[in-house]
Amino acid sequence: MTLRDKLFRWRDPYDLAGTEDLFAAAMAENAALQAAGCPDYRRILALRGLEDLTGVSPAALPPIPTLYFKRHVLLSVPERRLLIRATSSGTSGSMSHIGFDGATLRRGGHMVVRMARRHQLLSPRPCHYLILGYQPRRENQTAFSKTGFGFTFFAPALSRTYALVWREGGYRLDLEGLERKLLACARGGAPVRTIGFPSYTYLLLRRLEEQGVRLELPRGSLVTMGGGWKQFEGQQVEKAELYRLAETVLGIPEEGCVEFFGAVEHPILYTTCRAHHFHIPVYSRVVIRDPDTLEPLPPGRPGLVNLLTPMADSMPILSVMTDDLGVLHPGGTCPCGIAGPWLEILGRAGVRDIVTCAAGASEYLRGGERE
Amino acid sequence: MILAHGNLYEDRELVPLREGLAEACVRTMAGPPLKSGVVVEACDELARRVERGDYDRLLAPFLTGLAMDPGQFQAAVGLFRRESLLYKLETELGPELVPLRRPEGGPIRRVRYPLGTLLHIAAGNVDGLPAYSVAEGLLAGNVNILKLPSMDQGASILLLKELTDLEPRLRDYVYVFDVPSTDLESLTVFARAADAVVVWGGDEAVRAARRLADPDTQVISWGHKLSFAYAVPDPPDRDLEALARHVCLTRQLLCSSCQGIFVDTTDMGAVEAVGERFFAALQAENRRHPPADLGLRARAALQVYSMELEETGPRALRSGGVSVVIAPDSRLELSPLAGNCWVKPLPRERIPAALGGKRGYLQTAGLLCPPEERAALGDLLARAGVVRVTEPGEMSRTVPGEAHDGTYPLRAYSRVVELV
Repeated sequence: MTLRDKLFRWRDPYDLAGTEDLFAAAMAENAALQAAGCPDYRRILALRGLEDLTGVSPAALPPIPTLYFKRHVLLSVPERRLLIRATSSGTSGSMSHIGFDGATLRRGGHMVVRMARRHQLLSPRPCHYLILGYQPRRENQTAFSKTGFGFTFFAPALSRTYALVWREGGYRLDLEGLERKLLACARGGAPVRTIGFPSYTYLLLRRLEEQGVRLELPRGSLVTMGGGWKQFEGQQVEKAELYRLAETVLGIPEEGCVEFFGAVEHPILYTTCRAHHFHIPVYSRVVIRDPDTLEPLPPGRPGLVNLLTPMADSMPILSVMTDDLGVLHPGGTCPCGIAGPWLEILGRAGVRDIVTCAAGASEYLRGGERE
Repeated sequence: MILAHGNLYEDRELVPLREGLAEACVRTMAGPPLKSGVVVEACDELARRVERGDYDRLLAPFLTGLAMDPGQFQAAVGLFRRESLLYKLETELGPELVPLRRPEGGPIRRVRYPLGTLLHIAAGNVDGLPAYSVAEGLLAGNVNILKLPSMDQGASILLLKELTDLEPRLRDYVYVFDVPSTDLESLTVFARAADAVVVWGGDEAVRAARRLADPDTQVISWGHKLSFAYAVPDPPDRDLEALARHVCLTRQLLCSSCQGIFVDTTDMGAVEAVGERFFAALQAENRRHPPADLGLRARAALQVYSMELEETGPRALRSGGVSVVIAPDSRLELSPLAGNCWVKPLPRERIPAALGGKRGYLQTAGLLCPPEERAALGDLLARAGVVRVTEPGEMSRTVPGEAHDGTYPLRAYSRVVELV
C-alpha cells in the first residue's frame, strides 16, 4: 500500500498530530511520482532547485497557482487513465482542466465515508432529499449537480425533490413543489435533508419565511450546504441569519446546519464542525503565505491560502495556491472539541472597492480580455 | 440622499424631484448669470474650512478608506483655493476673447457663455473628484447634476451641501443624486435635462454615457489612462530613486501612476541593468512606506509568481512586496500594481510605432534622462500622444491650473458666442 493510501485510510480524520510524519512522507512520495510523470512539474521543481526530493518538507514544494491550471494542462498519467474530468465552476470564465484516475477517486471515496461518518451524516435511516439545484440530465455535467446527487447516498433516499426542474425545454424554479414536499415531510416521520449552495438555501428560506411557512421537520433533519470557495466569503452576518431562518422556518436547530467546501483543484471534503468552522482533516494541510515574500506565516495571520494534499496521482495538484486570502486559526481555539486548526476564508485577493483608472485603460489595451 | 435647491432629501423623493428637474434647470439658466467670482469665493471658504478641520468629524468616516497619502489630500484641497481657481480661470478662459473681424461693418464681440446644464457621471476611484467636477462646471457658469459613483461613501454630497450653505446663490446650480448605474429611467431623465454629459471612468462608463445622450447632447469624456517612464540606458540614481518613491506613494493606482519603464535601447543587457538598479531603489524605498492593501499586494504577488513559473516567461525580480519584471517586448501594459513594475526596451525611433493606436489612453511620461535630452525626448513622446511629460518623481503631481488629459475642461464646459 502506498503512503498516500495509508493516509486516506487513517481511522480518525482529524488526527493531525498522529499523521504529521505520514503526511510529509506521502507528499514526498506524491512529489516524486509527479516529477516522474509530468515534465512541466519537473521543470517547476528544478526552478526551486528541487531535483532531489528526499526529505523535502510539504511547505517547501512549489505551490502551483490555480491560474496556472487554467493556462496549462498538467497530467502525470496517460489521458486514457482518467476516469472523470471535472471543470471548476467558471466564476471567472476560464476553466481548469482537471482529471482523476481510479486510485485518486478510491482515496476520495475513503475520505468521504470517514468524514461523513465523523460528522454523523452517514445514516441508515432513510430520508427525503430536497436539492436546491438542477435536476440532473445527461446534458448537465457541472461539478455541483454531480456532487449534489452524490450526497443523496449518505442516507438511503426515500425521495429526491429538485428546486430547478426540467419542464418544456428549460429549467424552472418549482417553489410550490418544494413547499408541498416540505409540508408533507413535516407530517411524516422521516428526516429531511436539504442540499444546495448557501446563497440558494438562504434565498429559499427567506421566501418561505415571507410566505409564513413555519414547520417542525422530524428530528435528524439537516440543512447541508456546499459550493465553491466564493460561496463562503465574508458572509458571517448572512450565515447567522441563515441559521435563524433554518430554525424558524424548518425547525432545524443550528447544529443541523452543515457546510462543505472543496475545489476541483483541491478535492478535499471540508466539513463544518458544530461551531461552523472548517477544521483541517488529515488528508490535507493549509499553509498561509505572506503576500510579500510568499513564505509561510505563523497561525492567526492573514495571507494567501495554499492548500496541500497528496491525494491525486493523475495531476500535480499536491500544493495549490488559491487566489483567496485566509487565516489559519491555531488548534485548541474551537469549542467543538476538534483539537486541530481551522481555516477561515476572508475573500479574494484583489483591488477591493478601488477601481483604478490605470486598470480601466488596460482593459482596452488587452482587447477587452479580462481575467 | 439627494441634494436639490440646497436641501437634503431622502432617496424616496427621487421621482417627484426628477420630474421638475429639466424645467428648474432651464429656469435657473434663464435667470441672472452665475459670476465665477461667487463660485471662487465659496470654494475658497469651503477649502479653508476643510483645511482647518471643521468637517473632520463629518469626513473622517469617508477619509479613512482614502487611497491617497496626506500630501495628495492637501494638494487636492488646494485645488479649491482662491489662488488655484483664479489661475485656472485665467489659463483656461483667458482675459477676453479676440473679437471677430469682418471685411465690412464693425468687429463682432465674442463672449463665453456656459454650455447650460451638465450631467456629471463621476468615477469612484478618487475621493473628492465628484465635487471637483461640479466645481469646474460651476466656474464655467453651468447648472450641475451629479450622479454619484456607487462607491461614493457620502463625502461628495456633504461637501456640496456645505458649499450651497456657504453661498445660497449656488443652490439652484447643484443637484446630487445617489442613483445606481442600473437606474436607466432616472439617468435618462437627467441626461434629457442636460446639454452635456461629463463622464469620468472606463470604456464601459463612456459607452454607457454615449447611449444615454441624445444626438444633440454633447458627451465630454475623461476616460481612464495609462502612464509610464522613459529612460536612457544609464539613468542617474536619483531619477530611479525619485521614480521608486512615486511608485510607492501612489501604489500605481492612478491614471498618472508609472506602470513600467521603457529603456531607450535594443540591448537587453542594458534593459536588465536598468531593471536591476530600479529594483534595488524600489526595495529600499518600499521599506519607508506603509504596506499597500493586503488584497492588492496578494493579487500582485500571485500575478508575478505565476509569471515566474511560466517556461517562456520573462525574468522577474521579486522580494519584500515589490518586483520588477524584465520583458523583451515593447508593449505598454498595466502592471500588477502595488509596487510591481515592468522594464522593457523601446528605442526612441520606435516610440511612434509602439504607442501608435493607443494615443487616447496615454497620459503621463516621466523622463529619466540628462537635462539636455529632455526637449528632444519630450517632443517625441508628445507627438506619440503623451499629454504630460514630467520629472520622474512628479508623475502624479497636482498643480493648480494644469490641463486635464490634454484639454482645458472649462473651455469644454462653455460656448463661444458671437454678438453683434
